[in-house]
Amino acid sequence: MDWEAARISIWLALFTALVLLAPAVWLARWLAITPWRGRPLVEALITLPLLLPPTVIGFYLLSAFGTGSPFGQWLADSIGLKLVFTFEGLLLASVLINLPFMAQPVQRAFAAIPNSVREAAWVSGLSVWRTLWRVELPLAWPGIIAGFALTFAHTLGEFGVVLMVGGSIAGETKTISIAIYDRVQAFDNTAAAIMSLALLAFSLIAIAVVFYVGQRERRALLDR
Amino acid sequence: MAALNVTLEQSAPIPLAVQLDCEAGELVALVGPSGSGKTTILRAIAGLVHPQSGRIQAGGITWLDTERGVRQAPQARRVGLVFQSYALFPHLSALQNVALVTGERGSAPRARELIARVHLAGLEDRRPAALSGGQQQRVALARALAHDPVVLLLDEPFSAVDQATRQTLYRELAELRRNLSVPIVLVTHDLLEARMLADRMVILDRGETLQQGTPGHILSRPRNARVAKLLGIQNHFEGVFESAAQGATWGTLHWGTTRGGLTVRVLDKRRIDDGARVSWVIAGEHLQLRASEASAPDWVDCVLEDALTLGEITRCKARTVAAPRDQLIVNVPTNTLREAALHPGDPVQVRIEPHGVHIMPARSASKARSATPDSEA
Repeated sequence: MDWEAARISIWLALFTALVLLAPAVWLARWLAITPWRGRPLVEALITLPLLLPPTVIGFYLLSAFGTGSPFGQWLADSIGLKLVFTFEGLLLASVLINLPFMAQPVQRAFAAIPNSVREAAWVSGLSVWRTLWRVELPLAWPGIIAGFALTFAHTLGEFGVVLMVGGSIAGETKTISIAIYDRVQAFDNTAAAIMSLALLAFSLIAIAVVFYVGQRERRALLDR
Repeated sequence: MAALNVTLEQSAPIPLAVQLDCEAGELVALVGPSGSGKTTILRAIAGLVHPQSGRIQAGGITWLDTERGVRQAPQARRVGLVFQSYALFPHLSALQNVALVTGERGSAPRARELIARVHLAGLEDRRPAALSGGQQQRVALARALAHDPVVLLLDEPFSAVDQATRQTLYRELAELRRNLSVPIVLVTHDLLEARMLADRMVILDRGETLQQGTPGHILSRPRNARVAKLLGIQNHFEGVFESAAQGATWGTLHWGTTRGGLTVRVLDKRRIDDGARVSWVIAGEHLQLRASEASAPDWVDCVLEDALTLGEITRCKARTVAAPRDQLIVNVPTNTLREAALHPGDPVQVRIEPHGVHIMPARSASKARSATPDSEA
């Protein structure tokens, strides 16, 4: 078991989910209620990472972040930030490709809140902010939990983009899924099997927790 | 100026040409078919939709004045709105639904008092899903009152409950009104409900106010044929008006589209031209039915076509002998009909009281915006 890779994987998954949380909730709520006609285009852009091969996304990110690109050069010169083959770069790539995993369940949760409930709060004198905090977020909570857990689990298992953008630098960008690949390449099937099983169990537990919380919240809404 | 004044004009998405006002303590019912803009008007008052042009003033404060660029947010308007679906916060208990609006934490005495006021004491901790439709409606009402509204708006609040609960809620609304002196606007498509609860009715059609007035007045004196049709007034006919002779009071109404058929005596108020095609109604309380006797003024010979017993009242259809296409609907106490031993097919006579006949222009004036003056013969 490569504990260092496991640690990096867990940190990456946790940071990705945390960084994504606020912007994804904002974006998802906007998508859920906006009457704007350009909405499908935004939804398509968000969904794109689900459909494109990870190598394609990795290639574009690499091209955009690398010191060969004006953006990458500017980042390196002005704030000394290198995004290729670093944990920070890996985090940024991970945030971008996980947007659909976080935003979609949250958007569905916001869309399921009847508009009249939101309006009832406004008419009752609750500000837009207070309505969000006291009415909308508690009702969208199961979707937010689901988005968080899906992002977490998906990041743990991400391989292609991580390899393209992060490389496989031990202690910096080598995650558990890459460690498994390394072990298989080295014919160390025992280690690969242990890590695979750990990843499987962890993902299963994460998803089960999502469904459990979702079910409990639904029940809580229906019963007293 | 009334406690609530509303003027709305717009051409799209729903055309509106509305003028209505409501005094403090008064209940005005907006009545009209679906799509007539009733709910849109309520939402405009609450600030949830913004008409192209209009003015809304409530409690001396201007909420909307498109000319002067005034447009207050819903939060600033102090409206109590009971939604048709109630729109309760499903994750909060009945008490919390109200306390969120009163801004109280902990034991929330004011929210508790409001819950008790709508007869829900003991059910404070239940969530909406664990309450019946009638109980949810009461929570919605308590929440609307929690805001100390200067205007109370009710959007078909009784449509989702059963008949028995509805009767109870009607009574409770009447009770509530005794201690609440704010204008109340009720949206309903149920004419009986409007008649029972409202001090005044506003008849709407395609976003336009056709007539305002007390339910009794509108039902016996609909402004035009369209209003009569919308209200589903049963005894609604066409006719040709013949003015009274110089100095005489009584004109003649020819029943049907030409002269020469059945005639009815009517008061001539010199407002309708001689020979004008008209539409006319007669309210049920101005009709009497009896077994056939010798002919007499104002009594029309008919044949009893159908008698449908509805408990204490029997709804009789009487077809006129002279013009068998026309039939009058007369409600008769069931025991009266039984004593008279009248059955379908029997000859009967129906008395049309001349004072009860209300004559309207045959074609509705489409841009009739305000309530007065009513057109009468």
